[in-house]
Amino acid sequence: MSTLQRVFYVEDEPDIQAVARLALEMVGGFTVKICSSGEEALREVVAFAPDLILLDVMMPGMDGPSTLKALRELPSMAVVPVAFMTAKVQPAEVAHFKSLGARDVIPKPFDPMTLASQVRAIWEGHHGS
Amino acid sequence: MAADKPTAEAVAEQLARLREDYQARLPAELAALTALAAGFGGAESDRARLDELHHRLHKLAGSGGTFGFTALSARTRTLEQQSKQWLAGSLDEVEAQAWQSLAAEVAALGETLNKVSPPQAPAILSARDSLTSDETVQIWLVEDDASLAEQLRRQLESFGYTVRHFMQIGDAEAAAHTQRPDMLIMDILFPQQGENATEVLALRPILRALGCPLLFMSSCDDFESRARVARLGAAGYFLKPLDVPRLVNRMTQILDQLRAPPQRVLIVDDDVALAAHYRLVLLAAGMEAEALHEPQAIIETVAAFRPELVLMDLHMPNYSGPELAGVIRQHERWASLPIVYLSAETDLDQQIEAMGRGADDFLTKPISDAQLVAAVRARVDRARQLDAQITRDSLTGLLKHASIKEALEITVTQARRHGKPVTVAMLDIDHFKSVNDTYGHAAGDVVISSVAMLLRQCLRMSDIIGRYGGEEFVAVLPECAGGDAQMLMEDIRRRFAAIAFSYSGQAFSCTLSAGLASTAQYPEFSGAELLVVADEALYAAKRGGRNQIRTASPHPLQEADRP
Repeated sequence: MSTLQRVFYVEDEPDIQAVARLALEMVGGFTVKICSSGEEALREVVAFAPDLILLDVMMPGMDGPSTLKALRELPSMAVVPVAFMTAKVQPAEVAHFKSLGARDVIPKPFDPMTLASQVRAIWEGHHGS
Repeated sequence: MAADKPTAEAVAEQLARLREDYQARLPAELAALTALAAGFGGAESDRARLDELHHRLHKLAGSGGTFGFTALSARTRTLEQQSKQWLAGSLDEVEAQAWQSLAAEVAALGETLNKVSPPQAPAILSARDSLTSDETVQIWLVEDDASLAEQLRRQLESFGYTVRHFMQIGDAEAAAHTQRPDMLIMDILFPQQGENATEVLALRPILRALGCPLLFMSSCDDFESRARVARLGAAGYFLKPLDVPRLVNRMTQILDQLRAPPQRVLIVDDDVALAAHYRLVLLAAGMEAEALHEPQAIIETVAAFRPELVLMDLHMPNYSGPELAGVIRQHERWASLPIVYLSAETDLDQQIEAMGRGADDFLTKPISDAQLVAAVRARVDRARQLDAQITRDSLTGLLKHASIKEALEITVTQARRHGKPVTVAMLDIDHFKSVNDTYGHAAGDVVISSVAMLLRQCLRMSDIIGRYGGEEFVAVLPECAGGDAQMLMEDIRRRFAAIAFSYSGQAFSCTLSAGLASTAQYPEFSGAELLVVADEALYAAKRGGRNQIRTASPHPLQEADRP
């Protein structure tokens, strides 16, 4: 099984982008690409060819779920694992997000020291199943 | 995942740096949120604004949590959810109190920052949290003369202010690290520390950085002190012995200015980019601005947005500015809405023509951002002043006789529709004629304006207050009846009696009487009919010995206490 290397993250808040970059690059050692909106993500994602995609749920313009839907319509993105990042983590909502085709939901705020391992666990879960 | 140690340290260091940056930017964001929330008018027209607030609260809740501002994040999250809930329904349904409390809670978000570092008195902080809609005004008083401070504190509290006293400048500076008053009143000379407050403030920025209005008091009336006070941008200089009603009058003026809602400006321009630019410039200056590109929607837009000024391009492709102004002026309720044209200097003929068709003024393009803001602000303020002159009493700033009667009828009708009570209070200063006769009309005016200031300070924003006649006042209290209204008026009565007036060295005090009438007792009554029974109750209070409150009652048993 190949290892997780390329992580694509869509998040509109610059402060959280900075922390996530730190957490994923420095702690996780991943190659990271961050986009600030769903629209930007759709333009950039194919060229980056991510192993895994993280999507903020609530963004102005295209939100997480609609970004996911649009991503899935790109042939090369049809099966790339996607996780949502959101503050709302009631079990019902997690179930709802999974029904939209997400592998998992990472609750916000995340711990920058453990985010990389959470992401890796999701990726391994995806490849184990 | 086990990061090797140097990496973990490097990460921690970088995180700390990010957190510092973030913390440094927080106050500006909180101030922006506060300004945004303070601008709500409480209706459907606030939707765009509330939407923006909701988005920013959402971002703040997320980022705050990420950087360890847990309390801030949690409180912000609650407000975010509340605004989201409102956005899901009709904003017209949201009650005025709820808007005010949202604004107050947004404004109080900064307090959670105090909770991050020093583990200090959480009980006090949570007590302040519960203060919501009807904000009490926090005054910090820095005065080394304990007895003068105590006296002043009591007087200011009579007017409904909350006063916190500091004996030394340093004490106030220490408090300023974590809290912020609404106004700062300082003595100038502190002989024990050998300090002069104007010098300390010039040297050490912490109290100035509070950004709140500053008033000085001093026993010296020398030019040098006054100049130093002016240089600090202070809002007032009061000589000892203090004339407290005059001081309070100035405080009221300052607070009214601070509470004034943002100016609402509608920009009508077919040049989308230019209109967007003007809009941003006005928004950045703290105003509310909307841009309209389709002239056909002008009436709907004016009705929904209720601008206080229309900024109109003179040349537009299909309809000219003057034509659109004509359309607006066809509606009687907008006959006095200021319309200002933006035009190039060379359009003199057209300017003259436009003047004849309902334009108020011209601004010449190109116009600098600063010019635009200053021009708009000056014209809106002028329009507000004119409106105030028509509807408000010049001595007290309260509504005039006719306006308060009109407001009362509207309030009673609305309350009936919503099934809520309204109470009308009619107040009268006891033996006012003898105040005038003994101390002169100037002293009488001070007494009258003191009642006005007291009412404004003690009543809610949603209450309506008017000067009904010479020394007679009317207060309309929606959603307030029975014991609450009686207690409220009792409180005002007691506070008024505690105010010490002075006239050329002579101290005197006054009392007032009031009669109340509520739709809870008189459900079928109109505003005018309520006024009649409130007046009868006032008469009973006067006959009963004055300095008291009576509530009108239709039940004969309670009528028995009437003489």
